[in-house]
This record gives sequence, structure tokens and C-alpha cells, in this order.
Amino acid sequence: MNKVWTLIKREYRAAVKTKGFIIGLVLLPIMMGGTFAIILLTEDNVDLKSKTVLVVDESGSVGQFLVNTAKDRNQNFITDKETGEKIQPEYFFTLVDKETDFDAQKLTLSDKVRDREIHAFVHIGPDVIHQGDDPEGSRILYYAENSTMDPIKNWVSGNANSYIRQVRVKALGIDEASVQNLFQRINAEGMGLLSIDSKTGGVKDAKKSSELESVLIPYVMLMLIFMMIMMSAIPLLTAVMEEKSERIAEVLLGSVTPTQFMLGKVLGGLAVALTTASIYVLGAVFTISKLDYGELIPYYILPWFFVYLILAVVLYGTIMAALGSSCNDSKDAQAIQFPAMIPIMIPMFVLLPVIKDPLGDLATWMSLFPPFTPMLMLVRQATPVTIPMWQPIVGLIGVFLFTAMSVWAGGRLFRSCIIMVGKRPKIGTMIKYIIKG
Amino acid sequence: MNIIELDNITKTYGSHKAVDDLTLHVPKGSIYGFIGPNGSGKTTTIRMIMNILYPDNGNIKLFGQELIGSRLEKVGYLPEERGLYKKMKVKELIKFHGELKGVADLDRLADEWLEKFDLTRWADKKVEALSKGMSQKVQFIVTIIDMPEIIILDEPFSGLDPVNAEIIKEVILKLRDQGSTIIFSTHDMSVAEKMCDYIFMIYKGKKVLDGTLQSIQEKFGSDTIRVQSEMGVKAFDGIQGIERVNDFGQLQEVKMMPQTDSQEVLKAVMAKTRVLKFELTSPSLNDIFIRIARPENNEDHE
Repeated sequence: MNKVWTLIKREYRAAVKTKGFIIGLVLLPIMMGGTFAIILLTEDNVDLKSKTVLVVDESGSVGQFLVNTAKDRNQNFITDKETGEKIQPEYFFTLVDKETDFDAQKLTLSDKVRDREIHAFVHIGPDVIHQGDDPEGSRILYYAENSTMDPIKNWVSGNANSYIRQVRVKALGIDEASVQNLFQRINAEGMGLLSIDSKTGGVKDAKKSSELESVLIPYVMLMLIFMMIMMSAIPLLTAVMEEKSERIAEVLLGSVTPTQFMLGKVLGGLAVALTTASIYVLGAVFTISKLDYGELIPYYILPWFFVYLILAVVLYGTIMAALGSSCNDSKDAQAIQFPAMIPIMIPMFVLLPVIKDPLGDLATWMSLFPPFTPMLMLVRQATPVTIPMWQPIVGLIGVFLFTAMSVWAGGRLFRSCIIMVGKRPKIGTMIKYIIKG
Repeated sequence: MNIIELDNITKTYGSHKAVDDLTLHVPKGSIYGFIGPNGSGKTTTIRMIMNILYPDNGNIKLFGQELIGSRLEKVGYLPEERGLYKKMKVKELIKFHGELKGVADLDRLADEWLEKFDLTRWADKKVEALSKGMSQKVQFIVTIIDMPEIIILDEPFSGLDPVNAEIIKEVILKLRDQGSTIIFSTHDMSVAEKMCDYIFMIYKGKKVLDGTLQSIQEKFGSDTIRVQSEMGVKAFDGIQGIERVNDFGQLQEVKMMPQTDSQEVLKAVMAKTRVLKFELTSPSLNDIFIRIARPENNEDHE
């Protein structure tokens, strides 16, 4: 055991005492939070350039309404009331007559959009207010270069509908103010479940469920465990391959057994993963508490996180070290790395369906499959949904047994392959080594 | 007392028999030289003694006990190809290996050995900064830091300049005097002749020589003459009864055919040129090696 400890210490120091480790420590959260940060930063970054939109209106009045409303918006709603600063672009809507050759006109207008003379053009059908027999006549078509994501399309849609509704209500001879309630939409609000307060013994009111709880926490947990595996277990494949090809392994095998050697590498990697994860978790808890969001920290999930992290790193670390021992050069390692990473990638692919329905069959069965358990069971437990207690326990036993089996098989494969030179053994041969030792 | 015993060891790689029914007993406190052409099975034998490879058949005993898959204590091993962590500092690396071998007072020991091998100023340099010869010295220190009872050295002198080869030779002899048993493989026959108490030669996986230099030479008889003449190798052109001439430039080593009279050869050479030196001798280890492993023998075996 002393020898394993010496190996662990060397592995740990070799990994932690490098600039790469410090840089990785900083880069990882940037990578993880980068997408969110970019979205948040760019959300307020509105394009303030004025937008000109031409309207070919066959309805007779909807187009004019849009022109007037745009004018009103430009005067009253595009500047910050306190600072007077412009916060939204101006919309200039202009009516144009429909020409006889309408296709040619649309083509000309399209070219104007392409040449940046105008931003977009709208064609309002003749029957949008009172629908006729021809459904084509009751359409509003918005033409722009990127019409799907264009906010003006939604503005046109909202205002045109609001006007059409007014006209229709008026046509029925009803006072619009008296039917305002008809159009009042009420959304259902998502709530958590009620529970007993452990301090007072009383009923604790349900909290309003948030995206943070149901999506962000499971996502961050999964990303963290995924990154830890990527940082500490996956590199063992190339590390072992290099130590084998550089004959370091043979020198060490003069002093330690192959199993001790492998354990030293895997547990060294685990120590690095635990250090990194602890720094992130402590850092996150400290920061969130300082920001007065302490109640959002999912403390209940942290012990599970570390247990799953330990098992996952040992499991995948052993597999990677054993596979690395079968490789003789970087080409061998590259060829084997992608297939070996598939079990780690699959939980990432099913993340959304699992978060959406943590109690569904897909989520339940996949999270009970040992290679996926550390990542998917953790995701399910991190959601606000209470999953049956037997499932994490069975999952834990499963992944523990599977890890033990992998360490045993990986050790036998490692012992057989670490000295072997020449062609990389085929899968059948590897299985033979595992069975025969 | 034999400290290492190999009995009927066989190791096969696919269809290739790397070691074939090998029996070898190494007495305690001896220096045993392993010789043989490249790919003959020396390293495989050494790796089996080290328990890194397992034999397909046969028994290996160290210290009178069978290998049972556990790591060998009190055995130092210098593999053929050097393998050191390049990013570690020299002294740190020596201490790391010493710790793996359970050596106490490592700081002092590491300093002593570094000084002995003139490496003190490299102690805090990374291994990657060392020359090949210096790395080899570091690896040698790592091998013997715990003063093991058995020391197995695969090509310990390759790549070393004469000064450093001399230091390593001195240390090996000192370790032997302190009771260690040393096995080393080498391609340098003169080193094997001068240093080894016993010589073992393996060829195509089979043991072909095993014993003291004297007993091996006796087996081959006095069928060799060493001649130094003014004509050099040309003096032997057309002389009957000569099987092969090994030309060293200034001196020729001549293997005679059986029943050839050395005096007749001397007369024939003297008729052509002035003979400066003439010696009837046993074949050198180098000559014996070549006789066994020369290309025509390869063809015979293949």
C-alpha cells in the first residue's frame, strides 16, 4: 500500500504542480459558464440602427395601422424615460402600392433588402380582417433575410392581430372596453411541493419552481462530473501509453506490481479530480452565499456528487489505463479513444429528455445502467422531482460492483499488455487476457 | 547456494519460441554474464526472472522460493531501454524510486550517489535536460539505491563513455564484494570475459553456453592462433588447414581446421613474411560467439 501511496503522490504532484493545471482550473468554469455569460451579455446588446419596412397592404387598413403604431412607438417607446438614452431602434413603416406584376415587385423589394436599402417588406392579404374562401388572402407574409429570428416580425404580428381584433369586435357592435377580459390570458405558474419544516414542524409552503432548480442545477452537476472525468480519467489512456512506449512502465515494474502501478495512476487521477471538484464546489458555495442566494445551493446533492465522482473516475480511469496499456503509440491511442469515450458521451446526449422527465422510463432505466449511473442518476437527483429512494441505492450498488469488476478486469488486461510490444491486441485477444489473466 | 534457479523455462510469442526449455542456476555472490545475438531471448529471460513476463512452462526460483506473482523485494533491475519521468527533477526522481523500494535516509543517499557519479550540479535539473549517458547513470543509481541482493542489468554499459563505464564497473564489483549477485547482459565480449565469473549464452531461445570462461574455452579446445606479421591478413592467402581468419588489422585470429598442425601454419606464414608474434591459444569469447551465431549458422537453424 505504501508503494501505491508513493505512486499516487507522484501522479498528483506531476498533475497539480503544472501551469496547465492552474490554467485548466480557470478555463473550465469559463468554458462551462461561457455560453450562459455570452447569452446574458448579448441580451442587452440591442441593434439600435433604424429599420425601414415597406408594406404592401391589400386589406385597406391594417398597413396604415402599422405605419401609425410604428410612428407612435418611435416617439414614445424607444428611449429610456429616466436617462433619455435610445434603447430600441426606430421602425419606419411605409406603404407601397401593389403592382400588376406582383412577383416582379416582390423580387425588386427582395433585392432592396439584400442591398440593405430596406430591412424587410410585408404583404398583408385582402381578407385578413374578415376571412374569405381563399385562405391565401388571409395571410400576413413577412419577407426578410432572417425572418425566423427577426423581432420585427413578432412586432408586426402582435400589432396587426390587436388591430384586427378591435375591428372584428367593433363589427359585432360591442364596446371593446367591455370585452377586454375576453382576451386576458392567465398562465399556470409552476410550483414545487409542500413539505414539513424540520425546525418548526409546521407545513412549509411550496416554493415557486424555477428554471434554475429544474435545469441549471442538474446541468451544472452533469457538466462538473463530465469535466472531472475528462480531466482526470480520459488522459490516463495517453499517459499510460506514453509511459509504456517510453519504457517508464518497465522501470517501475522492477519495483511495483502492474496492479499497484495501475492503482497509483488511477487514484492519483482521482486525487486531482477531487481537488479540482472541491475547489469549484467550495468556490461556488462561497460565491452564491455572498450573493445572498444561499438557499438555492443544493446541499443535499453534494455528498451524492462526490460519491458518484469517486466511482466514475475510478471506473473510467481503470478502463482508460487498461486500454492505454494495450497501445504502443499515439496512433493506437487515438484509434481507441473515441470508442472508449462513448459511454461518457451518451449521458450528455440524453440530458434534456432526462431533465424533462426524470421519472420516465428512459431516465429511470438509463440511470440504472452502471456506466451511466454516476452521471444520469446524479442529474435525476439534482432535479426538483423526488425519485424513489431505492433507485439511487440500487444504482450505487450497481456502479460499485461494476467498478470493482472493471478494476479486476482492467488490472488483468493492464498486467498482460503493459510490457507487450508490437501490434495492438485485438478485442478477442484482450478478452482472452482478461479471462486467463 | 544458487540464488536464482530457472528450470525448463519456455516462453512463446505466438508461433515464435523466445525461450526454449532453459535451465540456468546462478550462484549467490557471482557475476553472471548473459550474451547472445539480438533477439535471441536474453531480455525475455531477464523479464521472466523479474516476474514481468510469466513463463509458459517451467519454474523460476529466487532466494530458493518460487515466484508467486508478487513483486520482488531486494532485486534491482535496469531494463535494456531507459525509462525515466522526463519532467521530474533528478534528485526527486532518485528519491521517488528509493521510496518505492522502501529505502530510508534517502536524502543523504541520493546526494552521495549523485556525487559519486559527478551529477551533483544536475540534482535540481529536470531529467529531460540530461544527456543519454547522464540519464543512464541516473537510471543505474535508481537500480542500486537500495543495495539489492540481486541486481539485473540489461546492457548497463551501452552508450557510456569509458570514464563512466569504469565507474559503473567499479560499483558493480563493489556490490559483488558486498554480497550482491549480479546478472548483466552485454554485447561487449571483452567486458564479459574480464568481469564475469560465469557466462551464459542464449541463441534462438536455447542455451548454448553456460559456465566459467575457462570451461567454455576448454570445450572449444586450442584450435586458434593469434598472429602478428608484416603482411597482415594477406599472409594467410592460400594456406591450407585454415577454417577462418578474424582480422583485427594489426593482429589476426585464425581458427584452424581439426587436425591442422599449428607449426605447419607458422612455417607457411614465415615463408611469406616476417612474423612478429605467434600464439597458440583458446578461442576468445568473441570468436566463440561468432562461431555460434555467424550467418551460416543462422541459415542452418532456419
